[in-house]
Amino acid sequence: MPLVLPLLLSAGLFGVGLYGALARRNAVLALIGVELMLNAANVQLVAYDAWLGDRLHTGQVFTLYVIALAAAEIGLGLAIVLTLFRARGTVDVDDVEPVA
Amino acid sequence: MTAKLAGRRWPYVVLTGLVSGAVTWWAIPGLDRVSAPIVRVHAGNDVGPVLPSLSLETLVTAPQAKVMLLAAAIAFLVQLYSTAYLKDDRRYRSYALLIVLFLVAMVAVVVADNLFVLLIGWEVMGVCSYLLIGHHWERADARSGAAKALLVTRIADIGLLLAILVIGQTYGSYSILYATSAAGAETPRNATLIGLLLVMAIAGKSAQVPLQTWLPDAMPGPTPITALIHAATMVAAGVYLMAELLPLYASSAVAVTTLGVVAAVTMLSAALFALAQADLKRALAWSTVSQLAYMYAAIAAADPDAAIDHLVSHGAFKALLFLGCGVAMHAVGSSALSDMGGLRRSIPVSFWTMTAGFAALAGLVPTVGFFSKDGVLRALSEGANPLPEPVRQVVFAVAILTSVVTAAYAARLWLLTFSGSPRPRHAEPAAMVVPLVGLAVAVFALAVGHHLDVGIGTISTAAAVVGIAAALWLRGRRPRLARPLERELGWDVLFSRAIPVVTNRAARFVAYADDAVVDAYPRGGAQAARGVSGLLARWQSAKAQLYATVIAAGALALVLIAVSR
Repeated sequence: MPLVLPLLLSAGLFGVGLYGALARRNAVLALIGVELMLNAANVQLVAYDAWLGDRLHTGQVFTLYVIALAAAEIGLGLAIVLTLFRARGTVDVDDVEPVA
Repeated sequence: MTAKLAGRRWPYVVLTGLVSGAVTWWAIPGLDRVSAPIVRVHAGNDVGPVLPSLSLETLVTAPQAKVMLLAAAIAFLVQLYSTAYLKDDRRYRSYALLIVLFLVAMVAVVVADNLFVLLIGWEVMGVCSYLLIGHHWERADARSGAAKALLVTRIADIGLLLAILVIGQTYGSYSILYATSAAGAETPRNATLIGLLLVMAIAGKSAQVPLQTWLPDAMPGPTPITALIHAATMVAAGVYLMAELLPLYASSAVAVTTLGVVAAVTMLSAALFALAQADLKRALAWSTVSQLAYMYAAIAAADPDAAIDHLVSHGAFKALLFLGCGVAMHAVGSSALSDMGGLRRSIPVSFWTMTAGFAALAGLVPTVGFFSKDGVLRALSEGANPLPEPVRQVVFAVAILTSVVTAAYAARLWLLTFSGSPRPRHAEPAAMVVPLVGLAVAVFALAVGHHLDVGIGTISTAAAVVGIAAALWLRGRRPRLARPLERELGWDVLFSRAIPVVTNRAARFVAYADDAVVDAYPRGGAQAARGVSGLLARWQSAKAQLYATVIAAGALALVLIAVSR
């Protein structure tokens, strides 16, 4: 399998994730966008690992590491969104004014 | 009730008495000092400009001592008189203290050797007169009269300030003694300029033509204050200043002629206005203007001693007349001549003392008014004075004519006030009578020791007799000439209409220029700043996603730049 196909998949995932993180007004969906971007990175790590034929499989190890990190991150993020919803009654990021 | 409102009166009388006593104590040794001490004058002309300085050096010689004694005596008598005159006044305290301040300021003007100290006293007197003329500030005429007095005198004070600066530039010192000594030692310089500026200053302070209208309009002030202003302070300061600084401008024919012409025009016109007045107090005010012009005529004829002499004499009899006028107003409740008449029986002491005062005003023989006016006439009749010959003759003729008119209006006022059938009136309080008697004694006592000039005395007595005869003949008639004189020849229109119109136009133009031209730049700058900040504020939206988008776009651009190289 040529390297370009997983890289295109990764670029597409990253683009969709970036759009989601920047354009979605719902905080949960914005977090999902962030998650998509992380997974785009994961796809690349795995792809380069296979292409380089690294015997230590550094890329795959990093991917597992990133998955664990992403799980922790989404847990924290959803907890913040939940607290936000309880406090303000909305999860729309445009309606959340800064507490100045 | 009223006594509680106003508080006790005697502490203020005692305070004034103490100040007057101190001034008297200070002045009396000066009476014997006839000439000022000589100061050494630096040689050379390159003295150059000097910095304004204040020094508390004082100078008390005979003229200063006379004016100080006059001011101290009149201020004390006025304070005593006021205890009865302002019996029910709730602002007595500020009034009484202002009289003391007025006296102190006048003394400062008289004794100061430094011209700036003199200026301070001069201005403090202006403020005091403003506050005291406007004492009854509930009344519109008192407010406008006080404002007019302040505005007119302040405008004229510019002349004094400029004169002081020119004197400092010319002689390199702000000391009166030094400047007059220097002017005596060499040829005086800048004499015309100094003289004309001083004429401007005294025209305002002493109500001479063309700034004469404020003094009669100051009549809504309390009558004792009028006596104080007209006799001993304020207007007298102008005469003192002009007499004291005579050596600085006596060599300038232009300055002396201006002073003489101003005095001649003022004395005759003011006397005619006094003749036509329907109000006793206002007529006396015009009489003051006219008598002050006599003093300036004497100064223009280089006889300051005659001027100071007439100042003291006029101070005594004019204070007497104004205080008597106050008693008459107290008895009648108005100052209009039509309300008076027949006061001879109801206020007998005032009648006799005021008779002496009117006699002195008319220049009748045993009174001090006769001698001091003759001094002025003698100064004008002598050929050896700085006035050019035709001007001197004209001023002398005008002075004689004015003494006819003066006698006529004095007799007219006396007749209208006291003759006629008596009506029931208020009696005269003791505190008002005592000052009158004191001043009436002074009117005769001051005459002692005066030199009698038979020639001039005959002329002036003849003039007075003609005037009194004219007054008797005019009694009850109203000649056609009276109408313009009652309106005071429309002089005041210049001040009440013409000048405000010009000032309003100028102010409107300035306001327009300020709004349309000057303010346009800051306003345009503000608008530009607001536009730019509005553009910038669009980016500061507090939307985290917008910021993140910009960051992402920036990062993408950087990556693209890095890749494409």
